[in-house]
Amino acid sequence: MLTYIIRRLLLVIIVVWGAATLAFGLLYLSGDPVNLLLPLDAGQEARAELRHAYGFDQPIYVQYGRYLLKLIHGDFGTSLRSEEPALGLVLVRMGPTLLLAGWGLLFAVLLGVPAGVVAAVRKGSLVELLTMTLALLGQSVPVFWLGLMLILVFGLRLHWLPISGAGSWKHLILPTITVGTFVTASIARLTRSGVIQELRSDHVRTARAKGLAGRVVVYKHALRNAAIPVVTIIGLQLGALLSGAVITETIFAWPGIGRFVLIAVSQRDFPVVQATVVVFALLLAFVNLIVDLAYLWLDPRVRYS
Amino acid sequence: MRKITLLVLFILGASFSAWAAGDTLVIAQGVDATTLDPVNHQETPTGNVTSNIFDNFYRRLPNGKYQPWLGEVKALDNLTWEMTVRKGVKFHDGEELNADVIKFNFDRLLNPDKPLKYSTYFKPIKSVEVVGPYKLKITTSKPFPLFLTRLTYFWVVPKKYIEDKGAAYFANHPVGTGPYKFVKWIKDQEIDLAANEDYWAGKPKIKKVVFRPIPEASSRVAELVTGGVDIITNLAPEAIDSVNASGVAEARTVPSIRNIFVELDVKGKGPLHDPKVRLALNYAVDKESIIKHVLGGNGTAVGCPLNTYMFGYDEDLCKPFPYDPAKAKKLLAEAGYPNGFSFTMGSPSGRYLNDRQVAEAVVGQLAKVGVKADLRVQEWSSYVGQILQRKIPTDAWLIGWGNAQFDADNTLFTLLYGGNVKGGPKRTVFSYFSDPQFDEYVLQAQSVVDQSKRQELYKKALERVRAGAPWIFLYQQEDIYGVNKRVKWQPRPDELIWAFDAEIVK
Repeated sequence: MLTYIIRRLLLVIIVVWGAATLAFGLLYLSGDPVNLLLPLDAGQEARAELRHAYGFDQPIYVQYGRYLLKLIHGDFGTSLRSEEPALGLVLVRMGPTLLLAGWGLLFAVLLGVPAGVVAAVRKGSLVELLTMTLALLGQSVPVFWLGLMLILVFGLRLHWLPISGAGSWKHLILPTITVGTFVTASIARLTRSGVIQELRSDHVRTARAKGLAGRVVVYKHALRNAAIPVVTIIGLQLGALLSGAVITETIFAWPGIGRFVLIAVSQRDFPVVQATVVVFALLLAFVNLIVDLAYLWLDPRVRYS
Repeated sequence: MRKITLLVLFILGASFSAWAAGDTLVIAQGVDATTLDPVNHQETPTGNVTSNIFDNFYRRLPNGKYQPWLGEVKALDNLTWEMTVRKGVKFHDGEELNADVIKFNFDRLLNPDKPLKYSTYFKPIKSVEVVGPYKLKITTSKPFPLFLTRLTYFWVVPKKYIEDKGAAYFANHPVGTGPYKFVKWIKDQEIDLAANEDYWAGKPKIKKVVFRPIPEASSRVAELVTGGVDIITNLAPEAIDSVNASGVAEARTVPSIRNIFVELDVKGKGPLHDPKVRLALNYAVDKESIIKHVLGGNGTAVGCPLNTYMFGYDEDLCKPFPYDPAKAKKLLAEAGYPNGFSFTMGSPSGRYLNDRQVAEAVVGQLAKVGVKADLRVQEWSSYVGQILQRKIPTDAWLIGWGNAQFDADNTLFTLLYGGNVKGGPKRTVFSYFSDPQFDEYVLQAQSVVDQSKRQELYKKALERVRAGAPWIFLYQQEDIYGVNKRVKWQPRPDELIWAFDAEIVK
């Protein structure tokens, strides 16, 4: 078990190195950041000076070597715009993004799992038709459109909720729904099909034959077994939630990393983009590890060696 | 479940954020400031925040002219200047403004080891000498007629505070002499400022100012019409009607310092090399129709590289070329292209107000006189990269130029100087025009400090530009703001939002 975790952690290092290299390469190909750093009317001399000051005049292998060396020490350099350490700028904005993603996931699980179970248990009823239609809609509605509609209804028309910004629980509601709807729908659909399958299986029939209450059969015997694909999807969806956050954060002016990195990319703020890529790679690698470990708990037959 | 309830209660407890009401002016821009060091950025949204905290040495007026502000400057001869610093000005932390502080500011800008983003504006300065408690002598390496206009970029920072706390701390916790004191900055969420009651130029009328970054244009509009914010920048022409209909807010516009035009690669051997063809293109484009239909009326047609704000502007020489397709066809025939010709044209997307749609309209109008332009649209940062490296893949390219120096030099020299003067500077990176006489005039205007002589030189230079027609001249852009009706404030051509000039009327 321990060797498995150690092996996985080594894999994380390779993943991070790959992501960091990819980020470096793509940004290098995307052009000279100095063009966008100085006013257009700044002379070529001033541009050359700045290029030199940042080391962009060095050959690519020197730049890459320096970048990796600093990376090993946890140093991503300073933002070309604000001249502050890039990692700090990224970490400050990770908080709001994780908060939003966390609430989105919670919303999705709390709504999606019961909806899926109800749809499975009441298979063939109007309730199933209704839940599954809603789920289909939730999966097909573009995040952008959903966010703007929520603003239109709850912000502009009804004046119930703030339209943009952060700072109170009210500010969280619309972005949470926006970011969580797609995941809610996926979880509901997956839970439904999983539970339907389990309800037909032998051990559920046995449980029913033993005389266990219907509720216990559904939640303890069927749902727990149906949970494995759901947990997988939750792990995978965290990536979707984080990238969906780019759009949601932009619409609602949420002070997170998604919108920050979008601006950093368009401004070619290399250190900030690189730091974000590495932090995300680390985060997703660990989430995947946790998901794999969760299988152990859910299904005692799973063994890693 | 109890844990979740606790978590919900915890978040319930968090404070409510800014709301446009009472004495607070809330301004929403597309992005957050990147730093609060007033001379180490190059973005308007950042400048909007810092210009409320700091004072510049010369102040830009809404008509484009400038006036002394933190002091005055006098030319002693072509190469030396005397600076007198205003007495009785104090920074927010109590430090007094004097000649030493100004010298510290120059030293900071001119430090070759650590160039700041505004350093480039003060390159010609050779030495700065303190000659009295409030007096300095400035020596330049060559005549520097733009010194006064560049002093509007000279935002004065404190000496003692930066020496004590360091530049990095200062950039996040600024202290200036301006009408508003810095209170707090929650990154990407809000920047709060409070009135400086001891401001030397008078008490600010508005007591609190909050800047909020709201990237999505429709969210900005929604906040404006529900009273969540007071001023929004970059209102889309399509949204003007709905803002005006809200009853809460209205659109206010101002002609900007930015001209939009199509630069032509006149150096090549093709048809664009012939001035007659270039004149024909200018007659073939219906500027008024583009302004009306693509920009919702928010622009002014112009027939030269400058606009009314600029020193050196000439009304006659800047009259727009009339829309005259018959004349365009005649000129094309005279040049040997009776059936027109084909060329490629580039345009950015999303950099200027409806830029891509403007480029499409130009292409459509050129087609009517038989000129086929093949349009290639690109994302801004790669587009500008190609321009700065002179690796433009098209024969023509749409671009805008905002001349924030308000002086013809910044446009004519930077965009059109062709390097034809012996011993003079080489061709500039933006220039494809080549007219030895024009180059002569523009270079002379850089070396005389007498402004009336400079005015004459620019007039002659504009005559050459008018005859050579190196660009398809289009229009002067207008900046559109959405403003809550309770706010008395007029937008400025330099895009700055000064809360000191604003008032909340109830």
